[in-house]
Amino acid sequence: MTGRILAIALNTFREAIRNRILYLLLVFAVALILCAQTLSLLTVGSEEKIIKDFGLATIDLFGVLTAVLMGIGLVSREIERRTVYVLLAKPIHRAEFVLGKYAGLVLTLLVNTAIMALCFVLLLLAKGIFDPGILLAIALLFLQFLLITAIAVLFSCLSNPIVSCILTLALYAVGHLLWSFDLLRARLAAPWARALCAGLQRLLPDLAPFDVKGQVVHGIPLPPGTVAYAFVYLALYGGAVLALACAAFQRKEMQ
Amino acid sequence: MSRKGRTGRGRFLLAAALLLALSVGFEKEFGAAGRGSGAAPLLYLPSGRYLKVASLGYDELLADVLYLWSIQYYSNYDIGDRYVYLEHIYKDVITELDPRYLDPYLIGAMIMSAEAQDPEMALRLLDKGIAKNPDQWILPFEAGFLCYQTLRDYPRSSRYFEQAAAVPGVPPIVQRFKAEMTRRAGDIRASLGEWAGIYDAATDDYVRTIAWKHVHDLRVQVDLEDLTAAIAAYRDRFGRAPAGLAQLRTAGLLAEIPRDPEGRDYVYEPQSGRPSYGGVSILGR
Repeated sequence: MTGRILAIALNTFREAIRNRILYLLLVFAVALILCAQTLSLLTVGSEEKIIKDFGLATIDLFGVLTAVLMGIGLVSREIERRTVYVLLAKPIHRAEFVLGKYAGLVLTLLVNTAIMALCFVLLLLAKGIFDPGILLAIALLFLQFLLITAIAVLFSCLSNPIVSCILTLALYAVGHLLWSFDLLRARLAAPWARALCAGLQRLLPDLAPFDVKGQVVHGIPLPPGTVAYAFVYLALYGGAVLALACAAFQRKEMQ
Repeated sequence: MSRKGRTGRGRFLLAAALLLALSVGFEKEFGAAGRGSGAAPLLYLPSGRYLKVASLGYDELLADVLYLWSIQYYSNYDIGDRYVYLEHIYKDVITELDPRYLDPYLIGAMIMSAEAQDPEMALRLLDKGIAKNPDQWILPFEAGFLCYQTLRDYPRSSRYFEQAAAVPGVPPIVQRFKAEMTRRAGDIRASLGEWAGIYDAATDDYVRTIAWKHVHDLRVQVDLEDLTAAIAAYRDRFGRAPAGLAQLRTAGLLAEIPRDPEGRDYVYEPQSGRPSYGGVSILGR
């Protein structure tokens, strides 16, 4: 089983690195990271903060864009091109196909993030402002990409790329706004509405544990267990989303 | 590609170059007028609380971008009404997006006090920074310095320096400012105690020398104040000034007759009933 997933993953990776969108995003990201150096010339003080903020935000944004833009077509494009029939005609379980596709994109994201991180770290080293906490922030951002990819794959199994893109980006936005549900709940009078709000808050993906950019840049120590919490949350929530994606693909009728 | 095709492509490229040149000229001529000038466009800049929601986790980056913009905006002396939304920009937007970002507090306060001539606005911004960053001594230090230099409000300045001095790892200069503000606020005994503490804790000769000069002059001031008060009390009791300072001890008005920092007796003239210091004030006060 692992061998078949690995074969699909490597094939997906090979396919991804031939995709021009990936290179376009990567070139833009690297250019923006290097631009942080120029931006810092416009400020009074805080050059270090601006370079770090800009670099981390670029890695975050372009990692998410890569995950979304490549993840949304991962399964649906195979169906559209009918290449999925060739694969499924072989002794491959549908879940293996979904997991293989996911693993292939994770590998692509790993390479992509590593290249962006390398450029960023080299810039920080050249400026003499490197801090090992930056690597931790990038590692947590990578975990966030894994969760976003899982969500994109789920929608890719359920819908066409445009709808998948909108829904994934909407969940990405909501995932960064879950703290505002507390404010909303405090303003709701009806107990059922408050319960619904609390339920949604628990159910929707929480991306805040993966975002420690601010703390790292300001040198604020992370609360103990932050990394462990992010890992466990990704394993549980991401696992649930992937299981749903497998179930959705299992039920999908191929015509 | 055929000759006809190449000619067609050339025409399109020529048209593109022509239109681009026209658009650049048009933008240069009319662009600024269309965008409007002055502070009016800032009327619609929302509060940082709303921008924080809209920034989707990129609040620090948005704070950086707005801070960079603010530096360019407030450096432009052609905008006459640029200070209209100054407090909103720094206090309600940039520092709301990233409350741990120290430069907007410091630079914002500098623009408010030095450029907009509104030190109270600067202190409101620094107060917010102090509340959000209690581990940063630089913010109360800046507020104290502003009260000292611009407002000449020494008691208030002393309170800010006291706040700064309470932060762990604060540089020794903050304690020195605090002690000096206490003196300027009129409490010379407390100031003497603080300078004596600085002298005892000093680890280098430079600080020790500075502290000793202050302790010296303050010691003289405090002693002369004590002697003057005791002479006044003596005069009230006996209807005349004492013949010598030793009589103040005999009358039970002073437990000990103080000597100056050099170990000499203070000069006393029974005719005028005034004590004085026989040496020279080191700091020239």
